[in-house]
Amino acid sequence: MTLKAYSSEKLSTVNNIQQRLLTFVTRSNWVLLASISLLGLMAASPAFARGMIFGGLIVTINFHLLAKTLNKALRPQRLTSPNVILVKYYIRFIISGVIIFFLIRQQVVNPIGLFIGLSVVVASITIATMVELKKLIFKEAV
Amino acid sequence: MEAQALQFFIACVTAAGFGIAIAAFGCGIGQGMGLRSAVEGIARNPESSGKVTVTMLIGLAMIESLCIYALVVSLILIYAHPQAGAIAALFAH
Repeated sequence: MTLKAYSSEKLSTVNNIQQRLLTFVTRSNWVLLASISLLGLMAASPAFARGMIFGGLIVTINFHLLAKTLNKALRPQRLTSPNVILVKYYIRFIISGVIIFFLIRQQVVNPIGLFIGLSVVVASITIATMVELKKLIFKEAV
Repeated sequence: MEAQALQFFIACVTAAGFGIAIAAFGCGIGQGMGLRSAVEGIARNPESSGKVTVTMLIGLAMIESLCIYALVVSLILIYAHPQAGAIAALFAH
């Protein structure tokens, strides 16, 4: 195999992994949110379940909005004004901050439940990375 | 004893303030470094914008969640400290 063919094959593998990671994370966010919500509703107190649901919803929606903003900001074929992106970024951040503030201030949710809910995106990214690593290791072994 | 309870709450509020400040400082630096490298990469090779954006999105989400954790901990310290009632009751005796 020539060096050029090898490098282009390697590049397409990297591309595939990145696209797969994003798809996996986007889907597993919702799956994890649904699972922890169900688990919380069945096995925990209402405040704890509310914490999980609200926390999960906040980070999942935040992740989708961040993806939309970044795609608009960094893809040369669909560039938008930097001011619009900045304003949207800050609005998103302020809204999530205010929601979390009211949830804790009014004691609508259990703080530990909220913490678990807020970990949905981190958990799904970790799971996605582990799945991809497993695939890579087994591919190397074969 | 009330003074001690007040001191406890002052300590909580100070810890919350310093906590979110340090977290925002660290996350700001982290996000800035990531964004700088991504923009440099895209400027050098505009065709790679898709790949760079995907990788950066995942990294930024991870960093952002750290700042949100710090915000939650700070708000818990101020408004919903789990042991606040018990400690205030201890000081009252």
